[in-house]
Amino acid sequence: MAKKNARDSRIWLSIQKEKKEKRKYVLISCASLLTFLLIWELCTDILKLAPSYAMPSPLKVFRSFVAKLYQTAPDGSTLPVHIGVSVYTALLGFLMGAVIGSPLGILMAWFKTLDRIVKPVFDVLRPIPPIAWIPIMLVVLGIGTASKVAVIFMASFVPCVINAYSGIKQTNEVHIWVGKTFGASRSQLLFRVAIPTAMPMIFTGIKVSLGASWMALVAAELLASSSGLGYMIQIARSVGRADIIIVGMLMIGVISMLFSAALEYLERRFVKGVK
Amino acid sequence: MTPGDNIVEVRNLTKSFGDLLVLNDISFDVKRGDFLCIVGPTGCGKTTFLNSLTKLYDIDRGEMLVNGESINLKKHNVAYIFQEYSTMQWLDVEQNIGFGLKIKKRPKEEIQEKVDKVIKLVGLEKYRHYYPNQLSVSMLQRVVIARAFATEPALLLMDEPYGHLDLQLKYKLEDELINLWEKTGTTVIFITHNIEEAVYLSNRIIVLTNKPTTIKREMLNGLPRPRDIASPDFIALRDQVTELIKWW
Amino acid sequence: MAGPEEVFALICKYFIEPVGRTTLFGHIGASLGRVLIGYSIASLAGVTLGLAMGYSKTVRAIAAPLFNIVRPIPAVAWIPMTILWLGIGEAAKIFIIFIGGFANTVINSMSGVRTVDPVLIGAAQLLGASKWQTFRRVILPSSFPYVFAGLQISLSGSWMSVLAAEMVSSHEGVGWLIITGMNNANTAQIMAGMIPIGVVGFILVSLMRWIEKKLCAWNDRSR
Repeated sequence: MAKKNARDSRIWLSIQKEKKEKRKYVLISCASLLTFLLIWELCTDILKLAPSYAMPSPLKVFRSFVAKLYQTAPDGSTLPVHIGVSVYTALLGFLMGAVIGSPLGILMAWFKTLDRIVKPVFDVLRPIPPIAWIPIMLVVLGIGTASKVAVIFMASFVPCVINAYSGIKQTNEVHIWVGKTFGASRSQLLFRVAIPTAMPMIFTGIKVSLGASWMALVAAELLASSSGLGYMIQIARSVGRADIIIVGMLMIGVISMLFSAALEYLERRFVKGVK
Repeated sequence: MTPGDNIVEVRNLTKSFGDLLVLNDISFDVKRGDFLCIVGPTGCGKTTFLNSLTKLYDIDRGEMLVNGESINLKKHNVAYIFQEYSTMQWLDVEQNIGFGLKIKKRPKEEIQEKVDKVIKLVGLEKYRHYYPNQLSVSMLQRVVIARAFATEPALLLMDEPYGHLDLQLKYKLEDELINLWEKTGTTVIFITHNIEEAVYLSNRIIVLTNKPTTIKREMLNGLPRPRDIASPDFIALRDQVTELIKWW
Repeated sequence: MAGPEEVFALICKYFIEPVGRTTLFGHIGASLGRVLIGYSIASLAGVTLGLAMGYSKTVRAIAAPLFNIVRPIPAVAWIPMTILWLGIGEAAKIFIIFIGGFANTVINSMSGVRTVDPVLIGAAQLLGASKWQTFRRVILPSSFPYVFAGLQISLSGSWMSVLAAEMVSSHEGVGWLIITGMNNANTAQIMAGMIPIGVVGFILVSLMRWIEKKLCAWNDRSR
């Protein structure tokens, strides 16, 4: 009995030590962030090192953030509206790309003839960065949601195809043999062996694709748009409101993180058996 | 379908890989309910033989008949336990075991019933919802064996399934296998390079030569069960087989 | 919409005759030059910070909050701010390219240090290696594949950023080419720009892969 207690208390002690260390680093992080904000505040509001149109203080940024939640100046919409437009457009393009790209990648990896036909076309489109599609889409589809969604589609489509293709190609031959010896048909092998094997990579493709979609959306909105976060930032620049620019940039970052977190959660729930 | 008649007939099976002739005109029969062990020097094409038998490999020439017809995996109820680990990492234990039945499109209730029966036989009841990456190697092999037996195969093929395991575990799984075989009456073709294992398990032994591989000897193994690996009869048979393999 | 023959003819023409200030060679050169500078700075700074963050928990604790806030903001989103600070000259473009390449180098370098096999470190210490020796001879080589992966991704990121920077304001470069084509509704010019963009991007990726094969021969990551 005594032996067990001694061991338990040693384990407890080492857990406490770990927790203390973790806390120490969390404190360092908080301190670092606060120091940064203080220095920023110091340089801007107090020492006035830079003109306010180029470098607003953190307090000003925060106040503008709150104000923009319900004010439409200077760009014509409130922050929530801009966020809504941006997220909607990005998700639309992203979903189109994922819904067309992933199955296409799967089928290309499974059917050799399809691969031979589609791959050359795909290899030509693939190295073109999504941003480079903006001019042609604007000319062909005009300024508006359609051209933005088209650009985002190109950004989303490519990683989905590549990763789905890769995932299917990684199918373990032994698993195919197991299916075959039990008498599986080609389509059973596809749906019960190949696609489940590929799911982790298909998901990776979707994660990459969402990130690329969001970046393409921001780029498209910066260059030609009349609403959305990118547009808000552009207008803010033209009227010298750097505080709104920063609000916009931070919003873009936060939404990007939320997207990643959402996908991580979905992956944990639906992709089974991965370490 | 009387017990003791031929379930598998192999005629003139020949297979080469390019210029290399691996299987050379192999012919033999397997009777229903047999436990046939195929032994031979390492690299003589034992795995190639099983893969050719099941048409996973294309062959040059020959006939493989099951119940008198050319072997057809969709029709004939065959289970194959490979040398490599073959559990599916995206399915839990219960789903892995039911995989064969699912492919054969059995109704849900039947699958559940058969999986329940087999999972108890291999002692994995507590691990139903564990995933392969959480299990030890021996448990994974049990899952594979359970998956095979769940489909109540007429013919069970096993390619050195216990090769990676330590001795104690090997003995235990061998006994479990004999138990399952006696209970279900399946026909087993078991490949191994371990002669003791072959003598312990089989009621018939086929000894193969080196490449180009043909049958060196077919023999019956009538030792009474349960078998004692230290008994003089056992050792005599084991030595006899070892001699055959040494001189090719 | 222009047809393939028209586009191809235009590309050939651009190689010989100047479009805007210079020929297609000049434009590609201008863009690549900017990438080179921005990417070099991003790589140097990124690898340094990444290795430091991977090696020292303290450094990571200090740098992580700020880095994690800035990281998800794409380089494109920095363009308006950069124009306010640095105007529309070369410095602004290089800064955007730097942002485009920085984050990935840090993350991958950090990852590389953190995933060094502790058994190797232990072995080095048992043999009497000092902290610096352990770092130089065990951690650095072991993390090199990760660092290199980060450098590859950053190169793509930088190439994309140079386009964005040029599209917003420039007088030459492949980005300028396609944005001018857009402003003149000249689809042939746009496509004549997109193809070199794709080709150069492809060449950069292939170059990195070739270098990787040469340098990381001992680390077979079959793609």
